[in-house]
Amino acid sequence: MAKAPIDWSPSNWPQLLYRFFTSFRLATVIFVLMTVVTLLGTLGQVDNGLHAAKVKYFHSFFFTEKVFGIPLLLPGGLLLMIFLFINMTLGALVKVRKRWKGAGLLISHFGMLMLLAGGFITWAFSTDGYMALYPGMSTNRVESYREWQLEVMPLSKEGVAEKAWIYPAEYLDTMRSDEQRVIKAESLPFDVVINGYSKNATPIPVSAPMAVGVTGKELEGFKLSPQKPSKEAEQNLPGCFVEFRPRDGGAPIEAILWAGSYRFDPREKPMPFTFTVNDELYGAMLVKKSWTVPFTLRLDEFIFERHPGVMTARNYESRVTRFEDSEPDKPLEIKMNEPMRHAGYTFFQESFGPSGSQPGDEMFSQFAVANNPADQWPLWALVINGIGLGIHFVIMLVNFTVRSRNKKLSPAALS
Amino acid sequence: MIPMMPRFFTSFLPALPALLLFASCGESDVTPGLIERSLSDSEKSFKLAESSTERFRYQTTPAAGSAGSAAGTGENEGGPRLIYDTPAGWVEKPGSTMRDINFTIGENAEAECYVARLPGAGGGLLANVNRWRSQMGAEALTEEQVAALPTKPLFGQQASFVAVDGSYTPGMGTTDTFENYRLLGLILSSDAGAVFVKMTGPKDLLSKNEAAFDQFTQSIDVNLN
Repeated sequence: MAKAPIDWSPSNWPQLLYRFFTSFRLATVIFVLMTVVTLLGTLGQVDNGLHAAKVKYFHSFFFTEKVFGIPLLLPGGLLLMIFLFINMTLGALVKVRKRWKGAGLLISHFGMLMLLAGGFITWAFSTDGYMALYPGMSTNRVESYREWQLEVMPLSKEGVAEKAWIYPAEYLDTMRSDEQRVIKAESLPFDVVINGYSKNATPIPVSAPMAVGVTGKELEGFKLSPQKPSKEAEQNLPGCFVEFRPRDGGAPIEAILWAGSYRFDPREKPMPFTFTVNDELYGAMLVKKSWTVPFTLRLDEFIFERHPGVMTARNYESRVTRFEDSEPDKPLEIKMNEPMRHAGYTFFQESFGPSGSQPGDEMFSQFAVANNPADQWPLWALVINGIGLGIHFVIMLVNFTVRSRNKKLSPAALS
Repeated sequence: MIPMMPRFFTSFLPALPALLLFASCGESDVTPGLIERSLSDSEKSFKLAESSTERFRYQTTPAAGSAGSAAGTGENEGGPRLIYDTPAGWVEKPGSTMRDINFTIGENAEAECYVARLPGAGGGLLANVNRWRSQMGAEALTEEQVAALPTKPLFGQQASFVAVDGSYTPGMGTTDTFENYRLLGLILSSDAGAVFVKMTGPKDLLSKNEAAFDQFTQSIDVNLN
């Protein structure tokens, strides 16, 4: 029998869309493409590092990949998972015929949808950063591992600032090396011009042999040499050229800013580029993006043990006190595999410093601070999935047993 | 204080400047303004660096050879200190911003040898090998040829060994060319940092000092005490 022709009229588009998104073929294609993306993403980690591979292959709608030298446009993990979510919602929950026999599969599909939704919430709303403290220090501020922002601050002669004007990391990170941006702040007497931004760079003295090969402006005896981004995104130190243009028509002030001028030890003071406009001292520098948590943590004691005779750490843990307006001060311990969970944040004992510290040196403790509204969703999704598959198994077993018994008792079997 | 914005929203923030560009034809590079925020107590203090050299964390301390170093063993001050054996006949000179260790060789200081360290990959192995070769008037090598260069130990790792004969043009503001010269060098390049040992001078003199070069490079170590 010949198939009826497809009705492409606009009035039938909702129906066609519904058929497309509920089709089993779409699910098959998505799974095949997800396998390809997973394979490419896994291989891509070797050359690009974990973070860059995650962003390119799994946090994207589309990406390009060269296969035998030919660039191919492929759907990214984000797009595939959105399509899979729609396909499963419409196909496995809405369109499917509701029968008691299918109850287990329905539940397990719900678990899978929860897993996908949890992944989306993690991608969209989670934050991760770190907090480093020496004993006696306290803060409620968490710093990003990878994101840098530009800050300009009025400074006292002693190097103290009360406030800063920032150009957020979300904007700065999108800058190309050949791009120039003019940024205005009405409260400041100058405009800021950024150009030559590089996600990883090294300032090189012009007296150095390799400065010969570095193109670009020379400022205060230095050139900025762009470097290939590191596989470990945390190790990238961005740099850029900035120009401060006084609005009263004064001469512009140029400088190289480099992330290496920021602090790498909680006690270190960052070193901004300083300049004067209208007799006021200002500082400018690249600073790690930071945010606050709704409580303050003080490190009371950092316990650090090494293996005998070697410098390798055997155990390290932190004794802290948590201060919060609405609650009494609470002493706590944060150990490896025993994080502190509070107010939606999880503090893991992550590392220590400074690097190269010797026995007897005072050390700081570093916590990884994660905030993920869907933190426990994968666990619950798998529990739901397991329950669904368990129910399905029992239903199938009962059906099989009943069918087998009926078969044995049937007249045909008895004759 | 800047509130934490979910990635869901911040992912679309980069599109805003582009939209503004379309909206404001003529001021194509003007982007949204700076955002004011108060600094918390732990963020208020800054160090007023005296120069870009300090701001960029470059050491300016002189290299070895200054008064007080033990005979035959140099030791520079400041930063990660280096220890090494000074080969016989080599004369130590003060270091500079870019030279941790600096020697002259020969009765009239015809040859020189220095050690330089840089943060980051220092421009990469290929670029630096070919920069040295171009100073000697030699053709550039391909990536495969550079990867196949012999290696020698430096800081316990295998550094690429470069040996080139030719006419030496140091550059660096001079157009002088020195005929019948030799360049011996080691390059250790990684994301964590780059180390360069370079010896240049008349070919005959360097031939006599090749063993001393190996002795020197193998003796360089970091003083952890």
